[in-house]
Amino acid sequence: MRVAAVYKWARGVDGATVHADGTVQWRVTKMVAGEDDHAVLAVAQALAGDSDGSVVGLTIGDGDASWALARGVTETVSVADAPSLTDEAATAEILAAAVTSLGGVDVVAVGDAEEHPGVAVALAGKLGWGVVAGVTRAAVTGGRVAAVRRVGDVEETVSAATPVVLGVAAEAAEPKAPGMKELLAARKRPVTTTTLADLGLDPVDPVDQRGTRVPEVTAARLFDGEPADAARALVAALRNEGVLR
Amino acid sequence: MTAPTWVLATDTALLTTCVELARGAGGPVTVVAAGPRELADAAAAAGPDRVLWAEPEADRPAESLAPTIAAAAADAGVRVLVSTVAPAARALLGAAATAVSASVVAGAVALSVDGDALVVERSALDGAVLETLATAGALALVARGDEVAAPDGAPAPVEPLAAGPVADLRVVSRTPVGGASGVRDAERVVSIGRGVRAKADLELIGTLTSALDAEIACSMPIADDLGWVPKERYIGRSGQHIAPRLYLAVGIAGMPQHMEGVRDAKVVAAINNDPAAPIFRTADYGVVGDLYEVVPALVEALRE
Repeated sequence: MRVAAVYKWARGVDGATVHADGTVQWRVTKMVAGEDDHAVLAVAQALAGDSDGSVVGLTIGDGDASWALARGVTETVSVADAPSLTDEAATAEILAAAVTSLGGVDVVAVGDAEEHPGVAVALAGKLGWGVVAGVTRAAVTGGRVAAVRRVGDVEETVSAATPVVLGVAAEAAEPKAPGMKELLAARKRPVTTTTLADLGLDPVDPVDQRGTRVPEVTAARLFDGEPADAARALVAALRNEGVLR
Repeated sequence: MTAPTWVLATDTALLTTCVELARGAGGPVTVVAAGPRELADAAAAAGPDRVLWAEPEADRPAESLAPTIAAAAADAGVRVLVSTVAPAARALLGAAATAVSASVVAGAVALSVDGDALVVERSALDGAVLETLATAGALALVARGDEVAAPDGAPAPVEPLAAGPVADLRVVSRTPVGGASGVRDAERVVSIGRGVRAKADLELIGTLTSALDAEIACSMPIADDLGWVPKERYIGRSGQHIAPRLYLAVGIAGMPQHMEGVRDAKVVAAINNDPAAPIFRTADYGVVGDLYEVVPALVEALRE
């Protein structure tokens, strides 16, 4: 199977500062690796390994595309001039066009990000493929993809015909990030760069932002100071909530 | 604005919340229930104008119905689609959004109409900000919010959705996980993370669980990497999803993967020595301090 592993397709929440007046300032505007991206790569590599297939990396925007190359991927494509868009369907449209241009892709693995839960499913919609979201691991069985996910208290295995999109959710942080040596070596490897124009796209975000504000309740009521005082204050608050015996 | 609005449901979570959000578009609200008859009945009681019910074939997941539902949405001229964040419901949303050329916006908490525009307020940046967005086009929303009670009144009529094309997806196994650890149904849970330095310190934590009459739970590394607490007690995206009245996180940073498992807790409290720990952004109460000082103080305070 030829598996496209999509990575670095959104800005990171940590790159934004929310000011007291509710305005948002993006200090880091580059696309960054999402919390699920390492799991996306692990799923893609497992599927390729099961099927004597290959993994092709796909990233959009101006982030460092060598992220996948430092993690064992040998071929990666960057749509370098793709902007950050509010409409997740518009982001999905760019990814869909890029997947189509790669040719011969059987599976797309993409992060099922909590902040952007519409991208994986909209990508499947744009491609006209089936989708399994919330996937934590996958294997190839009988020419089909067996995708495992958690549904409530049940671990469910869904068998999907290809082509299919897998929305992959990481269970934990990346177990072992590459060292400096791998990162530096990866930066010397070639990245295939393409543009929106090459893909025949001229994306317009149909969603306008009218403003931002700070929610009424954003943070915990914090008790600090002497442990005994803080502990008493917490117990009083919890009693007041009626959650103690 | 009278274009129809569809809520796409594959389970009963947040059904009424989604219907209330959908009401903001001003048009008639239909819940498309993809699942067993019980789901359609629950949807009918959640306050929509009608329910369209489609039941997947045996051994097929709800999202196998995505092509059918997408085609029906296009036929009906739907302008607004709403789903929860549940993977199956989102799969239906993605397909239907494409069919009606809708923009997709996540974290939606409120919807209104302003002239020809649909205006949505959504939670963004891990809940740090509410963003107001507007579009002249169609809109597919992934809803966020708390469970609200179903309205009084007669249930909406349930009509079958005509059969159509299905996606080639099959459920090949369903294995219960978690076991009867007691943590799932507990009213109070004390949960430990990497802030606890040694397995021997579980004795200290034990004094707190006794004082609170709570069950013990943990973050993933405590169960998976360290093995200090049985695996069926770890909380998070791939672990237990619990809804206690009190969740007290001790030495847990509060990464999104972990917090997903306690989204339905009534009250979340946290003890952490880092005032910038992410858990203080989602917890209701927090104590900033060294857990080795705060936990004994808390036990003492509970005895007072």
